[in-house]
Amino acid sequence: MPGTDTRPSAYPSECARATAPGESRFRIDAPIRPARNARVIALDDRATAIARRVADRPWAKAAFYTCQAASDIGPLPEQIVLHRLDATPALLGEVLTGTDVVVVLATEDTGAHYAAAVGRLCGAGGITTAGVVLGEDFEADDAVAALRPYARVLLLSADESDVTELLTALRV
Amino acid sequence: MLRKDINELLTQTGPGTPMGDLFRQYWIPALLAEELPENDAPPVRVKLLSERMIAFRDSEGRYGLVDEFCAHRGASLWFGRNESAGLRCPYHGWKYDYTGQCIEVPSEADNSSFCQNVKLTSYPLVKVGDLLWTYMGDPAKQPGLPEFEFAQVPPEQTYTSKRWQQCNWLQAFEGGIDSSHVTFLHSGGLKTDPLFKGAKGNEYNMKDTKPFFEVADSEGGLFVGARRNAEEGSYYWRITPWVMPAFTMVPPRGDHPVHGHFWVPIDDENCWTYSFDYHPVRALTDTERQAMIDGHGVHSRNIPGTYRPAANMDNDYLIDREAQKRGETYSGVAGIAMQDASLQESMGPIVDRSKERLVPADSGIIKARQKLRKAALALRDEGVTPPGVDPAHHRVRSAAVVLPQAESFLDSCRDAVTVMPGVPQSSV
Repeated sequence: MPGTDTRPSAYPSECARATAPGESRFRIDAPIRPARNARVIALDDRATAIARRVADRPWAKAAFYTCQAASDIGPLPEQIVLHRLDATPALLGEVLTGTDVVVVLATEDTGAHYAAAVGRLCGAGGITTAGVVLGEDFEADDAVAALRPYARVLLLSADESDVTELLTALRV
Repeated sequence: MLRKDINELLTQTGPGTPMGDLFRQYWIPALLAEELPENDAPPVRVKLLSERMIAFRDSEGRYGLVDEFCAHRGASLWFGRNESAGLRCPYHGWKYDYTGQCIEVPSEADNSSFCQNVKLTSYPLVKVGDLLWTYMGDPAKQPGLPEFEFAQVPPEQTYTSKRWQQCNWLQAFEGGIDSSHVTFLHSGGLKTDPLFKGAKGNEYNMKDTKPFFEVADSEGGLFVGARRNAEEGSYYWRITPWVMPAFTMVPPRGDHPVHGHFWVPIDDENCWTYSFDYHPVRALTDTERQAMIDGHGVHSRNIPGTYRPAANMDNDYLIDREAQKRGETYSGVAGIAMQDASLQESMGPIVDRSKERLVPADSGIIKARQKLRKAALALRDEGVTPPGVDPAHHRVRSAAVVLPQAESFLDSCRDAVTVMPGVPQSSV
């Protein structure tokens, strides 16, 4: 039968042969392009400082934004004004255009209203949302509560390097 | 995604490697107590962390775990005669006690002190629960014995099995903190497995196939909470604890026994999966125990006389495509344990994590890798004792609860995830 390999095999099964030492050499070795067009949004001042440190690393497609003052909140979530790290403003609706994952950073409760707005807008737009809440004894309980309905993942941590680890693992 | 050098750091556990040194800070399962069922039972080969050893139980009931090979000519002590409080190499009669100390060299003169200078490398071997545990690190830093609840309850309340898994320990372990695969790979088992079926929580599992996750540090490792919609205004939470380096528990279902795993590296391409079930407050029923022996729940049906699963890579895991079509199994492989093992082994002996495409739902795995890497490097560079060594860190439970939507699982479940003798598990 064409295509049937009738050669004798040292292995008793398909799975044993496929996982034998050396078989990994034949895996297709295509380069992996960055998969995520990520937005990282810092909700408060300490989160902004962390975002600045993380942004110094080379990222393929990650863009970083901050939420600077409650007065920036407009009547619609899309009109919330964020700021790039160079302080230029950007509307949340525009920031989220074309992205498929948003990572929200929080260290305290002051950004809870932003968290809810970002979460709602991402939820409506089919954008996967992850929250990294940094601090001891969960100082950002309100931010966590605001994010919980929307964030596919909430990482509660005292370790700032979790932000870098998460973004690296997501290939952004 | 992990860089190749970090992948190697986390997957290599032989002597002198950072992860090997990390594992050598802990008591780890070496074998089941049933493998040495009586004094002077036949010795058993044990390979752990890429070291080959022999375990034996001497005439006085003392357990020994020593270098597999006789110091004389390198013959395997698996052939040893276990007699008169020692293990004697049948080649030339050299004899060793349970500490590896040579106590007889027949070819030497009577009263010779030669054998006093011959000692095989040995490690302590201690029975706690159904397991024999060893500590392969610096004797001066030997921690207190394990206090995991499954090994502390009376014998009639607990059952442990083990199976050989043909892949690196890390890819097996990562399955234990990866709650999102349950909805797919194990969906058949929720309906039919005698150790899972019938729980109210299963309905939440099956109705909401897109769980949300929260990952938080614990003293010994992590808690991973998986959240699904329950009744209006509430969430169903399944909370998985991980105690470093390789202990995880599965959240319970109804009044079924609670289960979990301990993954132990044999070498870099093989590991032992120890799987346990226990009930905190009652004896296992005969039906439950028989189901575990038969390979249901998290256990496997093994080839008689071995710890190799009957469904294994040499028979393509007895995959049944018709059962898959009928909806009895999701992948065609029967049994929770082998559903996991078949896919983990299919990745190859050591998966190349530089090729992964992780998603936010994998945050538990991402965080666990980070904690392992940091702990291994802190130990190597600064001598820092890693989390999970302190027996107090072992006193955790998994839990399954329904909470109001506004409540944090961490705040609401502190008691539920803490071992309280005499108190039942928190389960739905």
